[in-house]
Amino acid sequence: MKDLKHLLYFEDLLQTADNELIERAKKDGKICAAFTCENIPEPLLNLGDAFSVRLFAPNTGSLDIATYYMTSFLCETSRALLERAIEGGFNFADCLVAADGCTMMNRAAENMELLHTMDEGKDKFFYQFMEIPMKSTENGVALLKLQCQNHILKPLHENYGIDISEEAMLKAVEEHNEVCRLIRELGDFRKEEDPRITGYEYHVITLATYLAPKALLLDKLRETVEEVRHREPDGKKWRARVVVVGSEIDDIGMIKLIEETGTYVCADRFCFGSLPGRVPIEIDPDSEDDVLTQICRHYTMIGQCPRTMNMEKVYGRKKYVADLAKEYNADGIIYEQVKFCDPWAYERMLGSHMLREDYGYPVLSVDRPYNISSGAGQMRTRVQAFIESIEIKKLQKQGGEM
Amino acid sequence: MAFKTVKKITNPKKKKGDQTLGKLYPTNGKTKVFVRREWRGVKDTLYDYSRWLYIMSILARFISKPRNIKAMFRYRWMANYLAVPYMMDKFTLGLRDEPLRITHTAMNFVIYDVAKTMDNIFKGDRRTGNNKKFSDTCVLTDENAMTAFMMGFKDTTAILREVPTMFVANLLTQNSTTHYLDVAQEFGLPGDVCPMPEAEAGISIDDDFAVLGCCAVQVNTTCDGSLMGNGIIAHRLEREYGIPTFQLTAPLRHKEEDVQEYAANDMKEAVKFIEEHAHEKWNWTRYFESAARVNDATRHRAMWLDNNATYYPQFVGSVFSLYNDTNYMGNCGRSALFPPKDKKISKLVEQGYKKKTMICPEYRHRCIVWGVQPQYNIHMLYWMMHCWGVVPLTDMLSMVNTDMIADTDTPENREQAWYDMAWLNENMIMRNRTHGGYKVLVDDLWEFCEIMNADMVMMWEHMSCKALDGLHGMFEEQGRERGIHVVWVCHDLCDPRVYTRQAIRDEFSQYMRTVMREEPLDPTIEHIPDENMW
Repeated sequence: MKDLKHLLYFEDLLQTADNELIERAKKDGKICAAFTCENIPEPLLNLGDAFSVRLFAPNTGSLDIATYYMTSFLCETSRALLERAIEGGFNFADCLVAADGCTMMNRAAENMELLHTMDEGKDKFFYQFMEIPMKSTENGVALLKLQCQNHILKPLHENYGIDISEEAMLKAVEEHNEVCRLIRELGDFRKEEDPRITGYEYHVITLATYLAPKALLLDKLRETVEEVRHREPDGKKWRARVVVVGSEIDDIGMIKLIEETGTYVCADRFCFGSLPGRVPIEIDPDSEDDVLTQICRHYTMIGQCPRTMNMEKVYGRKKYVADLAKEYNADGIIYEQVKFCDPWAYERMLGSHMLREDYGYPVLSVDRPYNISSGAGQMRTRVQAFIESIEIKKLQKQGGEM
Repeated sequence: MAFKTVKKITNPKKKKGDQTLGKLYPTNGKTKVFVRREWRGVKDTLYDYSRWLYIMSILARFISKPRNIKAMFRYRWMANYLAVPYMMDKFTLGLRDEPLRITHTAMNFVIYDVAKTMDNIFKGDRRTGNNKKFSDTCVLTDENAMTAFMMGFKDTTAILREVPTMFVANLLTQNSTTHYLDVAQEFGLPGDVCPMPEAEAGISIDDDFAVLGCCAVQVNTTCDGSLMGNGIIAHRLEREYGIPTFQLTAPLRHKEEDVQEYAANDMKEAVKFIEEHAHEKWNWTRYFESAARVNDATRHRAMWLDNNATYYPQFVGSVFSLYNDTNYMGNCGRSALFPPKDKKISKLVEQGYKKKTMICPEYRHRCIVWGVQPQYNIHMLYWMMHCWGVVPLTDMLSMVNTDMIADTDTPENREQAWYDMAWLNENMIMRNRTHGGYKVLVDDLWEFCEIMNADMVMMWEHMSCKALDGLHGMFEEQGRERGIHVVWVCHDLCDPRVYTRQAIRDEFSQYMRTVMREEPLDPTIEHIPDENMW
């Protein structure tokens, strides 16, 4: 296929945490609200003059200092973020809103606070820690609402004078939804038999939407969607199609590696992926609930975080993956987990068994480093073996010869 | 900065009986128990022996029931219970006078309580006792569950199914969990998660839990692993055995005001769930009676800790923590049998303090034990005293709620009660420190060092405990700033294959020799051949 016009641009954005769009927004006097967890309602960090940036640490190398503070047993994502913070890589942030969700990310954020990694010389800087509901219930919605009020809206307003009115929220949701719609439209092309966008390209673009001010990204997003609408697929024969499920994939090399084996990544069900991270938020103007409640309900109900512990959700998460696999015509599922991530360790164990036994999908269950380049060979071998097994099963199903 | 020092206290009285303890350990490397009973002088040896006989009588009563014998052959973990008397010997090693009596009073009651729990388990267990009527009145709960949500039920029994299966079993014999860890890992769970929930998941995968109950209430207890392990256990309970489960959430930021309503509401839902399945209505009279007992236990615990802040602590070591586990969390005011024990212990503590009773010949250092203990080597706290003269004044798991809860039945208090139960649930053992932000884990530690006049922190570094590991550097730096010795002792909670008991002791000894420049009080136990002991 012809290269996407802006792919290189999007890729460049992902080469450093402090990308050019963040710098541009900061020059315009905008307030950068950094965050660490998918369960934090993103539009609330994009109110008025604020813009959200999810912390990530591309091209991570040594984790020595973070390992001193958090030992080698904490997940590499949390250590990579802390290391980058200590190095000064997140100095662009004007506040950090962290979720006390998974323990390790929480500890990373706490270390950032204790070590004053981002707040030196910034009088208005604040660190906030949110409680994230562990069940998808109305009680959870009420909790999240209160948490958003106390840990996002109030400090943003008091410290930076950010407009936290309903109108501002509606505007932020509108912008958020446009990004979601564009991403979902791109994502829907992955359902095609001969898809006109690769999983890698899609991943790069989706990731960029979490890491750069949305307003500054929209033009190129719109242009890219338009480009893909008219893009001619190249008729490449993919060996198999897979849904990737698991921990956040910040290293774009991971999806690239999978696709280099001839495996098409047709759906992304991982932290900070598009399913369900880029599902538009529906706001009902006639609802008795205010906009904030409706935003919080969206995040509480639609989230697929493995830490959500009510059994409807535990079973529901597996069904969600199975439904995606069906909708996106997947041949198999890859459950992946950043090494030492506890929530995904358990989720992939149960998930891989249930998806295999209850839903009949072949499943590859793997752990991986944060930066895939340090384990690329092993991962490639695992994926190749998995794809071969899928191919063999396909042949067996068709009654063909091996 | 100079390191803090504390007054060295020397015991003016010579210890009766055996002066060194190394002679009690087998030298052949094969024997699983001590080579002989400890000689503690006539009076204390007789006392200790009578308590040993009492434990044997509990075991005899337990095993006299056919269903329990049947369980012995059905459940792999049951074999560990042969080691109960030996466990008690580990906890009383080197003790005399009041500390010996306190330890027996507390731990013997824990043994009684666990035996009662097991008896109940097998009474209702579909595979052994199969008493359906009884089973229908049982609610299964987690190992680390604060049973506050059961405080208002009179005829419904809380069954902490994981306590005898995993938690206690590993106190008894060090290798009790290894099989289940292997099972979980074969099933696809990585080996780097906390081995406790991993072993519990393994027991469930291996179908080695007793099966009973009208429903189960699971909690997000100590960590992500613990929370996540619920899923696989509930999956089996619900889909295979038709036992409905409820997941009770305790907020992580439990110190914050803005999470309390959420917690209280979920507590109401949990009680409603139990009422529906156990067919018993919540009884407020029963609840407030239990609440009064919770307060009573809190007052006693505070008194023991106050005593431990003096130069003559009486109730120290692992049994302090284990008794507290049982009373504070497993019981949570529900049983009227605990208060007399608390009272008796308090009396002994007072008596020992007045007599200036000491546990070992010299108190060199006053130590706070922090972090999560290795279940298979929990008795090491006694070794620290006897070998190095380091007194474990308290441990992280014992520093739980000190607030009084509403214990009189009024309309306002009935509403307050939901918040109190939620508060207790949030402040269950371990998770009240591992969750709630760094203040409760790091800042509070230094405060306790001040209050208890400690010059040393023995830091259990449970390598898979991400909540603790995540603040490793902070402990190091802040300990140095404050002049507190932080002695890191690494372990893997309940997997002795990763870190043996001697490797754990060696880490402590190395610090004492190389940093503190000290020699052991009892060199015969610096190296103990207990690799193959229970």
